[in-house]
Amino acid sequence: MNLYEYEAKRIFAEGGINVPPSQRITKPEELAKVHLGYPLVLKCQVLAGGRGKAGGIKFPKTLKEGMALAKDMLQLSIKDSKTESLLVEPAMPIARELYLAVTLDRDRGCPIFIASAEGGIEIESSSNVLTEPIPHPYHPYVGRNLAQKLGLKGAVLNKVADIANKLYKIFESKDLDLAEINPLVITEGDDVVALDGKIIINDDAINRQPQFRGWEEAHLCDLSVRERDAKMSGLNLVELDGNIGILCNGAGLTMATMDMVKAFGGQPGNFLDAGGGSDQKKTLAALELVNDNPNVDVILLNILGGITACDEVAGALVEFMKKYPERAMIVRLRGNNQDIAEKMLAQSGLKLYPDLEEAVKEAVSRSKAGSSKKPVAAGKA
Amino acid sequence: MILVDKHTKVIVQGITGKMGAAHTKRMIEYGTNIVGGVTPGKGGEKMHGAPVFDTVKQAVEATEATCSVIFVPPYLALDAGCEALDAGISLLVLITEGIPPLDTAKLVAQVKAKGAKLIGPNCPGIITPGQSLIGILPGSIFKSGPVGMVSKSGTLTYEIALALTESGLGQSTCVGTGGDPIKGLDYQECLTMFENDPATEVIVMIGEIGGNAEEEAAAFIKKTIKKPVIGFIAGQTAPPGKRMGHAGAIISGGKGTAESKLEAFKANGVRVAMTPAEVAKQVADALKQPAKA
Repeated sequence: MNLYEYEAKRIFAEGGINVPPSQRITKPEELAKVHLGYPLVLKCQVLAGGRGKAGGIKFPKTLKEGMALAKDMLQLSIKDSKTESLLVEPAMPIARELYLAVTLDRDRGCPIFIASAEGGIEIESSSNVLTEPIPHPYHPYVGRNLAQKLGLKGAVLNKVADIANKLYKIFESKDLDLAEINPLVITEGDDVVALDGKIIINDDAINRQPQFRGWEEAHLCDLSVRERDAKMSGLNLVELDGNIGILCNGAGLTMATMDMVKAFGGQPGNFLDAGGGSDQKKTLAALELVNDNPNVDVILLNILGGITACDEVAGALVEFMKKYPERAMIVRLRGNNQDIAEKMLAQSGLKLYPDLEEAVKEAVSRSKAGSSKKPVAAGKA
Repeated sequence: MILVDKHTKVIVQGITGKMGAAHTKRMIEYGTNIVGGVTPGKGGEKMHGAPVFDTVKQAVEATEATCSVIFVPPYLALDAGCEALDAGISLLVLITEGIPPLDTAKLVAQVKAKGAKLIGPNCPGIITPGQSLIGILPGSIFKSGPVGMVSKSGTLTYEIALALTESGLGQSTCVGTGGDPIKGLDYQECLTMFENDPATEVIVMIGEIGGNAEEEAAAFIKKTIKKPVIGFIAGQTAPPGKRMGHAGAIISGGKGTAESKLEAFKANGVRVAMTPAEVAKQVADALKQPAKA
């Protein structure tokens, strides 16, 4: 879960990291009540990156100019992320900018510091970057080593080391995927201040972070309505442009099924992993999500029951077909309790494909046959 | 076979939970040497005939178990793993999905410090067909034979194992290393064990989008693995920037694409299969002409 800049800075401040004084406004006229002195910085609060280039940061010199800018900025959408509010800060006398972040390195299998003596950069495209594995258990000397490697000296070395240590503490205690300060500013008076920040909270850890409980809904801006519904009911849905709706159990099998659809000339309409051990209710919810996508002409269900019981899936299918008898369904079902499932489905007239390739080929051919009559709920037909 | 056989003594952490109990039954039915289990506060009880202990230490002292399969909830997994390590368990099989990655990183550091091995997390476990099934794999689709399998995925492994078994191609051992970005055993370690295992003649390596473990493994194969390796990658149709079910299955910043992995396979002499059925065909071919230049 991505946080807004103002939320990230609040967390930095709680952790003892210096941030600029600030106020947040949601209407241009609220700028009159801001007493931080001009020139000011106005910053759009969005969840997308590339804000500066998109016109999301401005430096008004007067209240009048600020209100005019604020009016436009509050309407701004950056990469589909609407401006939630404006963060207002005094402009800083900057002597130097650094980059400092903590993230998890999947190749090393541990958290790392990423740092650069150049701040305000796009870290992915910079060559002047330092990475430093973070040992467990943590010791503050790690922060001092890092500051030294950045070429810092004197009081600034100690201040940056202290911020690195605090940033790691925040990263660990809040279960983050990323804690980033960009830029970390050294002022003309040798103060060290986090001028901009980004925090990503690990999705799997949110339930043990009471501070963030219930935040998810307000921070899922890059998902479709159905993807959001799926997430809220514990399913993994990613929507694509094709017309073959796909429902499988297990991430790898779902991706492989999508790939086969494409390889045999079809277009996958979605990725939906119902997960291991899904019962009848969860499977039915998953079917409804795939069915609800107006682009979908055919649904391909591929379940290989390890911990998923085929009879639970069959129960969901029987219920679904009662509701949507016109829906083109290709079902491949194998594994635990397969025999029970076959008996249940034989009565519903649904053909079962034991072989995956045959099922995929049939789904592709049906998707091209224009079986795109929108299914109508039984009773209304 | 690698890592486990019929003599491997296994305990189940979380044996009285819903998942733990159900899979304990299935593992015992398969023939796995389940010698006990652990649930704090339930010491002295029995689960499907296996004695339940309050602590791993007691379980290890009473049973001499060397392997623990862990079914505890995500936020208790780090503690459970460390308890097993400190009690002298040398092989941890961590099934649990949804463990915060920082916890996994801490556990992996402990596993390394103790010289132990961790399979998982977020994995189906390991099976040496006909001997030992440790985890949640469906035993009936596997059979004993010369194919070693290592995979990030659960159900995709079953799909490919099924294709192999139905073609008469059995497996020496199948290891599911898990779909998380941070994990215990990696491809290189498994490939090395299969290379040194006399029962394994061909290796199947199943990967998916995200990270660059497959690329690194491909370079490693070219350098050190003489046995034929067949590679499969899931996620060629996955859009960038989206987490595809597994926490680790995401293309980010243009890295971790299926194309990059398939190219690395081809460049390093790994035989690429595009469907599960094709994996079986490639394995059959490789068994006919196993020598590698």
